[in-house]
Amino acid sequence: MIDLSIEIAGIKLKNPVMVASGTFGFGREYTPFFDLDKLGALVTKGLTLKPCPGNPPPRVWETPAGMLNAVGLQNPGVDVFLREILPFMKTFGVPIIANIAGFNVKEFATLASRLSVPGIAGIEVNISCPNVKTGGMALGTLPELAAEVVGAVVEATSLPVIVKLTPNVTDIVGLASAVAKAGAHALSLINTLQGMVIDINTRRPALGNITGGLSGPAIRPVAVRAVWQVAQGVDLPIIGMGGICTANDALEFILAGASAVAVGSANFRDPLTAVKIVRGLEQYCIQNGIEDWQELIGAAWKGNA
Amino acid sequence: MEQPPKDWDCPVLEQVNVSADYYLLSVAAPQVALSALPGQFVLFRCGTRYDPFLRRPLSIHQVKRERGEVSFLYQVRGVGTRWLAGRNKGDAVSMLGPFGRGFTFSGRGKRGILVGAGVGVAPLLFLAGELSALDWKLVILIGARTREGILRAEVFKHYGNVKIIAEDGSTARQGTILDLFREEVEEAHWEMIYACGPVAVLKGIQKISKETGIPAQIALEERMACGVGACLGCVCEGATGETVRYLRVCREGPVFDSHEVILRD
Repeated sequence: MIDLSIEIAGIKLKNPVMVASGTFGFGREYTPFFDLDKLGALVTKGLTLKPCPGNPPPRVWETPAGMLNAVGLQNPGVDVFLREILPFMKTFGVPIIANIAGFNVKEFATLASRLSVPGIAGIEVNISCPNVKTGGMALGTLPELAAEVVGAVVEATSLPVIVKLTPNVTDIVGLASAVAKAGAHALSLINTLQGMVIDINTRRPALGNITGGLSGPAIRPVAVRAVWQVAQGVDLPIIGMGGICTANDALEFILAGASAVAVGSANFRDPLTAVKIVRGLEQYCIQNGIEDWQELIGAAWKGNA
Repeated sequence: MEQPPKDWDCPVLEQVNVSADYYLLSVAAPQVALSALPGQFVLFRCGTRYDPFLRRPLSIHQVKRERGEVSFLYQVRGVGTRWLAGRNKGDAVSMLGPFGRGFTFSGRGKRGILVGAGVGVAPLLFLAGELSALDWKLVILIGARTREGILRAEVFKHYGNVKIIAEDGSTARQGTILDLFREEVEEAHWEMIYACGPVAVLKGIQKISKETGIPAQIALEERMACGVGACLGCVCEGATGETVRYLRVCREGPVFDSHEVILRD
């Protein structure tokens, strides 16, 4: 049995395979498929201060080797989460990372403070959602604004702060550096790419929100590139995500410099993807005689594998 | 107790091109056959690679419990369903399910009216069989734009009085299924309406249900990603409360009481 455990920003994971925010709800829907304690960590659906209805349908649209979504942060709000959902999630026996989505700096800080409770292992700051008009990506594309949000969150909580960055920028390393300076403890790379589909039958945009976030295998090379660049430029642990479907995909991210990975859209195609990746990583280590899998982190540029 | 959903590679027993782009796929899936309820759906993986990426939800058309067989009536609309239509006897297809809230019914010998527009008849055959077993008296209305779209009328005849209509006049009656529906509603006493079809048809049924006070259950269709309630992709607007509230078609539906939802074109 290979030891796949790792600690990221003080959060102890039994393996480096997490599930990405927005692709796993609050875990409940996937409990019939497998024991969720097999996951490295579970990241919640994006939480807002007040309940958020989300965007009008259609909200999802298939694209070549991927999908667009424009859910728009539908969630029951932090109060309902803390009162009705977190007690159930705590039974999973897996670190829970709360993804927070404020619409301004103050809301981010308030959310981080409210969620600093037993049972939450870390805060993931979502300044990268492309599907909301304020907050979200609007805060995450300008380094100064992103740093302001992160600084406020770090101030408001003693929990590890993970910042999820958007790839929809020209200089992701600059952005990562800015949030690192502001006190971030780890980075999630990447959120979805902004995209759009036009339905030629209706001659109208396919999604109710017109634009959406592109995910799935189609964006994997973009995500691997982002991890590769940021890992070499910023001294923070990285959780890599973007189109991961198999253990080989996960390994690409690890070799590029990610200390952990998150499975997103692939959960929709196969709910067992994350646990299959854990098994695949074990097999890779056994087959390649690797005793400490962490030697693989960044090996593609460190040249130590 | 909810049955645990599974991912099964199920052997294809038969693939029939019913008419035009419409296909009937039968698979051996004893677990699904045992637990499925009318109105529920199954998620099919279409292809072995990642394009198409998402699974395709198909409602359960017919179940032969004792033989462990489940059938799906579907229309080829894109790459996923085209791939599915290419599976033949002996191939295996990956199925996940059954999922969703199905039609509800109780009591014996009641009077029900089933309305299926186009491929919307798909979830109604399973329902018709279950209601028939409870001695329900059924009238089954099947409509489509053309004769080619009138699906499975002969099979429905086992369970009730079938009436068909095509918009282009290629059947004995010309008109919309709502024309037929209005006549039937006026003529007799009904205890439940069950319907599936395009939004325009369901909106008409919703309106008549409200006017007449006859309860209606409608099966909705929406593009899905996960199909299990996690992604919040396949929502429709709920009709209760003052603020906008979205319901998951895959979880709170696909069958809704018609007054629960706001239908939009």
